[in-house]
Amino acid sequence: MIEAVGITRRFAHTLALDRVDFRARPGEIHALVGENGAGKSTLISIFAGRLKADAGTLVLDGTALAGGSAHLALRAGIVAVYQSPMLFERMSWEENLALGGFGAGASHRDPAAAAERARPLAARLGFDLPPAGTSVEHCSIGERVRLEILRALSFDPRVLILDEPTGVLAPTELAPFLELLRRLRGEGRIVILVTHKLGEALAVADRVTVLRHGRVAAERTSSATSESELARLMIGEIDSFGGAGSISNAADAAAIARTSAVSFAPNHGSQALAVENLTLEGDGRRILENVDFSLSAGEIMGIAGVDGNGQGGLVEILAGIHSPTSGHVRVMHDRPLAVIPQNRDLDGLILEMTLWENLMLARSLRRRFTRRGWLHRSQAKAYCGDVLDQFRIRSAGASSKAFALSGGNRQRLAVARALAGNPGVLVAHDVCRGLDVRATAEVHRMLKEFAAAGGAVLLISSDLDELLALSTSLAVICRGRLHPVAQHDRGAERIGLLMSGVA
Amino acid sequence: MLEAFLASTIAMATPILLAALGELIVERSGVLNIGIEGAMLVGAFFGLTAAYFSGSIAMGLLAACAAAVALNAILALLVVNFAVNQVVAGTAIDILALGLTGVFYRRFFGLTGSAFTITPMRMIAIGPLARIPLIGPALFDQSALVYLAIALVPIIAFVISQTRYGLELRAAGERPEAADALGLGVYRIRWQALLIAGVLSGLAGAFLTMSYTNTFIEGISAGRGYVALSVVIVGRWNAWGVAAASLLFGAAMALQFALQAAGTAIPYQFFLALPYVMTIAALAFMGGQADAPSALGEPYLRS
Amino acid sequence: MTTARKVSSRFAAVFAPLTGARIMAAIRPLAAIAIAALIISIVLIALGASPLAVFADLWQGAFGNWLAATDTLVKTTPLIFTGLAIAIAFQGALWNIGADGQLIVGAMAAGAIGPALGGWPHPIAILTMLALGAIGGALWGGLAGWLRARREVNEVICTIMLNFVAAQMLSWAVHGPLMERSRSFPQSTMIAPNAQLAFYFQPSRLNCGMIVAVLLAVACNLMLFHSAVGFELRALGRNRRASAFFGLPIRRLTVGVMALSGALAGIGGAVQVSAITHRLFETMSPGWGYEAIAVALVARLNPLAIVPAALLFGALDNGSQAMQRAHGVSPELVYIIQGMVIIVLVAFDAVASSGLRDAFFGAGDNVTAAPDVMAEAGDA
Repeated sequence: MIEAVGITRRFAHTLALDRVDFRARPGEIHALVGENGAGKSTLISIFAGRLKADAGTLVLDGTALAGGSAHLALRAGIVAVYQSPMLFERMSWEENLALGGFGAGASHRDPAAAAERARPLAARLGFDLPPAGTSVEHCSIGERVRLEILRALSFDPRVLILDEPTGVLAPTELAPFLELLRRLRGEGRIVILVTHKLGEALAVADRVTVLRHGRVAAERTSSATSESELARLMIGEIDSFGGAGSISNAADAAAIARTSAVSFAPNHGSQALAVENLTLEGDGRRILENVDFSLSAGEIMGIAGVDGNGQGGLVEILAGIHSPTSGHVRVMHDRPLAVIPQNRDLDGLILEMTLWENLMLARSLRRRFTRRGWLHRSQAKAYCGDVLDQFRIRSAGASSKAFALSGGNRQRLAVARALAGNPGVLVAHDVCRGLDVRATAEVHRMLKEFAAAGGAVLLISSDLDELLALSTSLAVICRGRLHPVAQHDRGAERIGLLMSGVA
Repeated sequence: MLEAFLASTIAMATPILLAALGELIVERSGVLNIGIEGAMLVGAFFGLTAAYFSGSIAMGLLAACAAAVALNAILALLVVNFAVNQVVAGTAIDILALGLTGVFYRRFFGLTGSAFTITPMRMIAIGPLARIPLIGPALFDQSALVYLAIALVPIIAFVISQTRYGLELRAAGERPEAADALGLGVYRIRWQALLIAGVLSGLAGAFLTMSYTNTFIEGISAGRGYVALSVVIVGRWNAWGVAAASLLFGAAMALQFALQAAGTAIPYQFFLALPYVMTIAALAFMGGQADAPSALGEPYLRS
Repeated sequence: MTTARKVSSRFAAVFAPLTGARIMAAIRPLAAIAIAALIISIVLIALGASPLAVFADLWQGAFGNWLAATDTLVKTTPLIFTGLAIAIAFQGALWNIGADGQLIVGAMAAGAIGPALGGWPHPIAILTMLALGAIGGALWGGLAGWLRARREVNEVICTIMLNFVAAQMLSWAVHGPLMERSRSFPQSTMIAPNAQLAFYFQPSRLNCGMIVAVLLAVACNLMLFHSAVGFELRALGRNRRASAFFGLPIRRLTVGVMALSGALAGIGGAVQVSAITHRLFETMSPGWGYEAIAVALVARLNPLAIVPAALLFGALDNGSQAMQRAHGVSPELVYIIQGMVIIVLVAFDAVASSGLRDAFFGAGDNVTAAPDVMAEAGDA
């Protein structure tokens, strides 16, 4: 049994976890749910030793665990599989497995032997292994997740922690995966599943712990609760709307209402962006293949897809970082094309710089405050102050450093910057990841208002709800190919099949 | 004449090869060690000093390794435990080494170091093989350090690609965080790599003052440490490539003397500059970073 | 609520210089120097010299009398130029270790044309000298920048190699084409008198070169923190990927920054020729390009702070000459000092910054930014 008592963890101004108690028993699948930013990732990072708690104790089967070391956690039997697989990309998959439990035992870290030892397990799980000698960087994201899970299982873990695993699995791989979890439970292990998908959680977990703003809001047996109750517990306070994933306090309700109130006529106006026969090759494979679409003013085009099917490459081409191997991108008018990249900390912001400097990264904004090569700092700072207020970004001021912002506020800044530059086309990649319900509603409202005012939006996301709610036209990207989805074809199941490349 | 050129090539390639092999191991672990030049220099000086005062070559070699290892240890503390910028730390080591060797040189030997010589290391001829025309003297009549360098190439190639140590080494250079999570111990791996490289750099420096020449002049390393850095890049981070590239640079340096001796109208400075120009050219044509270990040069701090 | 937030952030801005973080940042270089001094004392004792006596003589040699003090200023000037070169390049995360070579090429350009400037009006001649220095240095630095931008050549290795090449070029020049007519000594023809910067308050060697240096420091500060180009430079240095994402011209910036850096060092070389040496010799730099790294780090890469930092090292350089005579400790001691200062400084930064790491390492955010030179680089 794993038991956490009083876990507390701070990051700069934020209290990420506040005296959290958690308990999971052997032979149990325990779901950990909560909104983005509730503290789920922090908590499991502490369990797995990746982070150290500021206060509290962690006990596994009666033995106290010293935190802060992933290796010690591993030896104690706690293994975590995170959202981005931690594999060694330049090395072959056999070598990767050899560095895990399959290679254990004195002098043997022989990749071939490790692969042999892994085969029976992979077969039991229904996993196909890549061809011999393939390096991980040439494996698909689905294969990587499977390899990571294999490696995790090779350690024969007492506790297996999975952080949003289904996000990168295609919908058709979901059922076998959940079956795997049940099998592990049957072997007496503890499985902790972090997810924000309430339906999944209830389908497979025995117990559910709900985190809200760093505190445990509730702990329930899954048979004794429902999605709506969980949703309510995740958000808090009184229920006045009902239904899964709905809002239950006045402010959030108002935000949602404002969003719904915005309507616009799609597809009016001129063509804003034309992408013609775009192909991108790199890393020895085709990242994009003959991608062809056009975007009109006032249109929100959604591109649905599991992470790693070429979205990143498309965004990079649109941002101008890479040239395509063939094909063109044409932006029709002289208003700029603004990009909100997926990985805001690495690509979107410069954390060591101040907030106003981060705003000035957008060329159109920078031009606005530059005269004859001179960047007018005070004016830029004042403008930044206005933007911070307008977009309700909580910070220590325009001159504070970006790394002091919380994740959600960083994303708000990235969105604010994109919109403030008065773009003609906005490319948003996973724009609402990490935002809470109210912020998500606000961003959605901003996107709709932007489209209503004549802007064009390319919304790239893996969140089907978001896409279905906002998009005027929809397409699915799978293995670098774009498949448009007709209006009448918008069933979630149909889209799911497209996303997994089956249909 | 050609024989002499080939023999000279091997001799000139040796210190570069030794230093570069050490650097190969270090870079595979993820660290960019700019301080090789400094390590070679202290190895050259303190090795000679120890040999001079003790009268024993063995003591000299030992001291050379010890000095270089000590310097690398300082670097290791900075770049591994403190995760400081590796370029800056390495440059500081080079400057420090210049100062240490200069100060102690003047202290021991005054302004003219003419008495600071030893009997150089013997050349060891491998019997009949040394008499093979053309390549005999080059490959089989050299000092022990040359044979060591040549022998190390296949050994290190094997170790890096086929052994457990090599696997863990490469993991540390690819994704230190993942390696630590698996319990491989990135700090330990990188420290080990730097200490091993220290031994090799020390030997490389010792070769300069105890075998190739038999005295010390200030700045005797003359940028060989930096050439070793390029050799690792041009050699695409594998031992055989490093060996080939070292040979190339050895040839360039040997060419220097051969052409000078041949007496051309070209000023001698041109020949002195040749290896450096070649290094730049080699990097320009083959210097892509695509094959570098993914985490090379990135400071890594265990959280 | 909006007004309150605005007021409180302005409040914070006014008092920011007095908050702990800023004070610590300023004290750190001083503390580093103190620790370096301690370690050097140990080295000195090992050499059989008395640290106190040595430091006293260092001070005496640097500031003991009027002549010494002015000579300290003279030795500070090239360090300001090379220090600025390093600071600008490092701000862009371009590791320019080649300031020596860039200085040499700048000096060569000035020294080659200098003799021919006989009939020109004095101010024009001086400006020409400076321009030649800038062009020479810019070419040498820009070459490394171009190789980095176009061919991915590691600029550390490249600039160091170019140092050696430049040294050989200089040697060839003073032994060959530029050699003085009398051919008795490896030096070039003396430059025309009106291309020389005059000495003031003779016998001191005080000259306008220092003023040029300080003016350039101010100009660099303005460029770095108040111009659009400076902004792009700093952004590039801190996050290359994000800079690429926002369309910053990475290649052009790389070449441009390296060229600017080289130009600054080159002007330093021209000033040396114009003011001090009046001709080219086999060696034009006793390692200022490397020393400048210590200078730049002590100045936290801030152009204005380069001036006092350069003064510190200039004083050390000057004082160490006297030390040689008195204690038989070779002037190379300053290299040990430089090396130790850099080491202690970066170690300090690391230890202090590790507290900062937890502040922004959010779970799931995947930012493993370690403490770095850049993180502490000064803001205007």
